[in-house]
Amino acid sequence: MSKEAALHPIEQSAEKTPEPTRPIEPGESDLNALFTLRGKPSRRAEALVAVVACILVFVAWEIAARLRLTNPIFLPAPSTVAATFWRMSTEGDLLLHAGISTLRVWAAFLISAAMAIPIGILMSSYRVVGAALEPIVDFIRYLPVPALVPLSIIWFGVGEETKIFLLWLGTFFQLVLLVADDMRRVPHEYIETALTLGAKPRQVLSDVAIRAMLPNLVDSLRITLGWCWTYLIIAEIVAAQSGIGFVIWTARRYMKTPEVMAGVIAIGIIGLVTDQLLRQLHRRAFRYL
Amino acid sequence: MSEGYLTFDRVTKAFGPLPVVEPPFDLTVDRNEFVVFLGPSGCGKSTLLRMIGGLETPTSGEIRLDKAAVGPPDRRRGMVFQSYSSFPWLTVAGNVLFGMRYRDDLSTAEKRDRARHYLTLVGLADFADSYPNRVSGGMRQRVAIARTLAAGSDVLLMDEPFGALDAQRRESLQVELRRVQQTDAKTVVFVTHDVEEAVFLADRIIVFSQRPARIVSEVDVNAIFGPDRPLSLRDEERFFRTKTELLRLVRRTAGSEP
Repeated sequence: MSKEAALHPIEQSAEKTPEPTRPIEPGESDLNALFTLRGKPSRRAEALVAVVACILVFVAWEIAARLRLTNPIFLPAPSTVAATFWRMSTEGDLLLHAGISTLRVWAAFLISAAMAIPIGILMSSYRVVGAALEPIVDFIRYLPVPALVPLSIIWFGVGEETKIFLLWLGTFFQLVLLVADDMRRVPHEYIETALTLGAKPRQVLSDVAIRAMLPNLVDSLRITLGWCWTYLIIAEIVAAQSGIGFVIWTARRYMKTPEVMAGVIAIGIIGLVTDQLLRQLHRRAFRYL
Repeated sequence: MSEGYLTFDRVTKAFGPLPVVEPPFDLTVDRNEFVVFLGPSGCGKSTLLRMIGGLETPTSGEIRLDKAAVGPPDRRRGMVFQSYSSFPWLTVAGNVLFGMRYRDDLSTAEKRDRARHYLTLVGLADFADSYPNRVSGGMRQRVAIARTLAAGSDVLLMDEPFGALDAQRRESLQVELRRVQQTDAKTVVFVTHDVEEAVFLADRIIVFSQRPARIVSEVDVNAIFGPDRPLSLRDEERFFRTKTELLRLVRRTAGSEP
């Protein structure tokens, strides 16, 4: 008997462990994980917390506005902003302006990407290109876009070209470095493996290196697209008769705070939807990760 | 050794002022021989391997394969690395097919047949449609080996290919590799710092000093065990004895050099 006990010391001690005094509710471990340092709660629990937090903020804001704790000219109630947003979308032409802004963003973004992807790839693939371009790119990258607005107007006037140029300016130089970095991060082993399988340098680039960098590249593009919206507002505030920036700026002139906020929310929604779509695309295209 | 299939002829290598291979290195490897370069990390043995592959060029001297000086990388000398050895965006079968991507002498049907043949040879036939990130590290190394074999490499250059695997996987892959090398008749140059691995796999072990690399000793393992290396060899007295002797030698080398 004693020998048998010695063979199963773990089971023995497990039996002696006192029962938990309280039965564990389903889902309770999940809630505990939320409050544990570096705990790993489920996605559902996290989503729940996010939704509840959002609702709390809006409810607090609404109450503060209703009780007149805030001046409605500065901070209108969320319900007012939502109603304004709805009215501007259905009766006004907020959607038209949003569409115009989206077109501008995508036009500039596509031009930036079309230039930045090949140049970035070449910069980290061939040192001669990198050495030649890096100082220039690094310099321009740190120039604040607003500082170049006057120059842009002198060059391109106040038409679409100026807006596209400003957006391009704000994104191209950032993106080119991101692309170069994505290419640099492709493991050297992939390149050398391909070479010893008989690939020519050009084939290594097209069949292996670019394919290997693709997931990171899509991420870089997604981030850059977000920046486009930042510069869009600057461009549309300075010189525009249309677009969300124009809507916001016009509303500001008449102190129509709900309309200003509605415009901001429109940008937020477009940004969120685009970002989620691109994330989804990423997940589907790169299932192997 | 008279055949002289792969030869190093007075090869030296320096990275800038830093000598990596010095004095001039001479070595002759026979066709279908399994040679292991054994030495401490950073001793320059990987650089010698990479020079065979054309991924580095000798500072002086010449490396010849089948009597012709080796040039830039090509598929005659296939490399298998320790990490990032298979392409994650291709399936297991896709990786093996990639090995034949630049071979115009094979038809699509032939490529498919070869891929199936080598997948079976390394025991991956059931995982053909899986992605590398979904299979074990050991399987990823099998993928790389199958791909290099399918490409039709004459020489397999392996740079610590099992270095990142746990002990059990490592042992079973060593048995497999030795078996594959015998059935497919390949010349292998295998770099490792693991004495046991060297003794188990090699026909001949070249023991290196610390950097700059030079040969400290050569061990003809075939003379001790013969070409067949079953897993049970590891339990034998003579395996243990050889391993211990070599370990002592390696330790002495590490201690006596700067």
